[in-house]
Amino acid sequence: MVGEVYRHLFKKRATVLYPFKERELVHVPEGMRGKPSINRDLCIGCGLCGRDCPSGAIEIIQDEKGKRPVFYLDRCLFCGQCEEICPKSAIALTPEFEIASYDRKAMILR
Amino acid sequence: MSKFEVPVGPQHPALKEPENFTFVVDGEHIVEVRPRIGYNHRGIEKAAESRTYIQNLYLMERICGICSVAHTTCYAQNVEYLYEKEIPPRAEYIRVIINELNRIHSHLLWLGVAGHEIGFDTLFMYVWRDREHVMDIIEAMTGNRVNYAINTIGGVRRDVTSETIAKARKVLDILEERTKYYKRVAAAELSLISRTKGIGILKPNDAVRLCAVGPTLRASAIKSDVRKDDPYSAYEEIPFNAVSYDLCDVFSRILVRVDETFEAINIIRYCLDHLPSGPVRLKLPRNPPAGESVSKVEAPRGEDIHYVRSDGTEKPARYKVRAPTLGNIPAVCDMLTSKADHTVNIGDIPIVLASIDPCFSCTDRAIKFVDPWKEKKWIWSHEQLDRYARRKGKQ
Amino acid sequence: MTEAYVEAIIQIAQILIFPGFLFVIALAFAYEWFDRKFYAKLQNRIGPLYTGPRGFLQPFADFVKLMAKEDIVPLAVDKLLFNLSPLIAFALMLTAVLLLPISSPMGVLSFSGDLILAVALMTFFCIIVFLSGMCSTNRFSAVGAERAVFQLLGYEIPMMLAIVGVALGANSLRIADIVWKQGENLWYIFGPQAIGFAIYSIAVQAELERIPFDIPEAEQEIVAGWLTEFSGRKLALFRLSRDIELVFVAGLGAALYLGGPLGPVIPGLEPLLYTIYFIVKTVFVLVILSTVRAIFARLRIDQMVSFSWKYLIPLSVLQLLLVRLVV
Repeated sequence: MVGEVYRHLFKKRATVLYPFKERELVHVPEGMRGKPSINRDLCIGCGLCGRDCPSGAIEIIQDEKGKRPVFYLDRCLFCGQCEEICPKSAIALTPEFEIASYDRKAMILR
Repeated sequence: MSKFEVPVGPQHPALKEPENFTFVVDGEHIVEVRPRIGYNHRGIEKAAESRTYIQNLYLMERICGICSVAHTTCYAQNVEYLYEKEIPPRAEYIRVIINELNRIHSHLLWLGVAGHEIGFDTLFMYVWRDREHVMDIIEAMTGNRVNYAINTIGGVRRDVTSETIAKARKVLDILEERTKYYKRVAAAELSLISRTKGIGILKPNDAVRLCAVGPTLRASAIKSDVRKDDPYSAYEEIPFNAVSYDLCDVFSRILVRVDETFEAINIIRYCLDHLPSGPVRLKLPRNPPAGESVSKVEAPRGEDIHYVRSDGTEKPARYKVRAPTLGNIPAVCDMLTSKADHTVNIGDIPIVLASIDPCFSCTDRAIKFVDPWKEKKWIWSHEQLDRYARRKGKQ
Repeated sequence: MTEAYVEAIIQIAQILIFPGFLFVIALAFAYEWFDRKFYAKLQNRIGPLYTGPRGFLQPFADFVKLMAKEDIVPLAVDKLLFNLSPLIAFALMLTAVLLLPISSPMGVLSFSGDLILAVALMTFFCIIVFLSGMCSTNRFSAVGAERAVFQLLGYEIPMMLAIVGVALGANSLRIADIVWKQGENLWYIFGPQAIGFAIYSIAVQAELERIPFDIPEAEQEIVAGWLTEFSGRKLALFRLSRDIELVFVAGLGAALYLGGPLGPVIPGLEPLLYTIYFIVKTVFVLVILSTVRAIFARLRIDQMVSFSWKYLIPLSVLQLLLVRLVV
């Protein structure tokens, strides 16, 4: 055990100095479920995403263009059920994960 | 010294999750243990009744953070039994791969925590550094490091690509080498052996009588594994061994878990080599037919049993979860009391509690009502609890 | 007359600043930083990083933060003892470091028999640990205090026998004499005293309550042991006393086995060079202590006492015989 322990004096550290310095060393694979994005042109306002969301993070509202979803990111589980159920593939989960904010309003995706 | 009571929990550095164990000690010897569970009760079974079957998938995932995929597999299997449909073989194999990756991750996490509980911080740091490899490959396969959301009713949601398979093979080689090193260290490190051999003894007939499950049971010379006794998913076709040791103590449990990691690595290799082609998902109607179903799964901690009753609507009428740690709590109380032929010290508490791999978030379902001020204990049926809740709600 | 005044002022400056209290407190912070960084490096991580260059000011920052925190005194404690014990512990350790030879082969305090005083001060510290654990009426503290006394039974005798071996070899009970003797012959670590050095390192690890012997303070079992009820300034003083004890123990090991601050000197620059040699040698002892901390798990109290009585004490008696034969 002593040999292995002393060998670590010469190894590079396993810690990554994220977020202040080594942001580029943090690898996020594609397909990672991060912030959802919606393509307004493809959305037909069926409301299936709001019905199936496990945490109630999608609210279907009525505006001049018809029904459309509003995402509440502070309730979102990032499960991807909305992406799966959308018949027009209008919702996609991007690999963006740095969505923390001081402002509650920044958590609402219209 | 006269006897006094040392409370461990609900907040205590030895426990990662809140539970209360009151130890009556005499000097350093423990004479009696009184457990109280329920600090992590979140009402999941009730919440499951007001969500659709699809939404419940994600609720079941959050019963536990470490063995999350075992709960979703059990749930998805349960509902598929209701439909009485078979899911495609490729989906079965992918479920097995993800389940076994979860098992590796859980056992490595446990090894680190066990090292930390006996003060061996170096082992803790090394093991958790190697666990990062498993988390990375799971993230590449499923999209998240914890709470994978890979199971759905009718199969799995994503397919594994050939690049992910190649990456996974490399990761498995690294893991196998590191796990061999940890087995060598665990078997040879004197301070670790002296803290774990002969500690937390659970005799085989006690283990059976107290309904212990999982590695706790298998370390007491009883070869009982749901994957072998009652195979589900693709386990019938995959050759592997159920691991058991007969030393009946904490050291034996360490060996069982390390060997299960080797077995899991071999199972994943077999699955990756023999992955059948085809679809990964079966489209099923939204409402399952009415009926009841029970499904069992071997979670990393033991046998996980789910029960569902459906009445034909899109929400379940009743859902019951029996997590593995609930079966291990009477066993751990027995391990912690001093017996005629061996005594248990206070210094053994953290490692014995850690050796059953407690996951108290899984455990807390309502069993018995206790009124601590009036010192009364009783059991209610569903209708009685309903009536009480309605009466109190009106007040 | 003025000569006596100047000498008095020099003496006071020696006690208070260099190589006395302020210097040793600074050294205590530096050694705690080195210990944490080295321990972290062995575990493939970083350790303190952001406060000061490479985290050098982290122990000092911890101390300042603790001094500023609220000091909670539970209702049921014995108030006099609870308030006094951190101060007594601090005073004990500061007195002890005055015996160390830092900037000259003689410590600030040096007289025949000061080796016994050094050992006695370490034992007093353990008694203060016991008293502070008992006076905070908390079952975890009581268990921790009881374990501290058990541990004292274990490590006290091997440590004293190892030190007696050194005193036998040098034929004197004065630390300055022991250092001079090593200057004339080989350092004591080369020779039959090497066993004594090993025993001293192990026993001292138990004195300092570090893994594998941090049983009185075992975090996972009894929250923080005897330290549980102390907070704010009292905790800051206890932690500082613990760090000063680290300097003292490493310094004593260097003085007894590694020839103290002796080494090749340029006349005129002696205090500076002696201090540098002292620091280098104590860092060597510290490296050994930190490595032992990283490679073992924590022992149980009965295992620790039985290990000490079954292996350490016979070994130290054997070492005494060897020294008697050779000298």
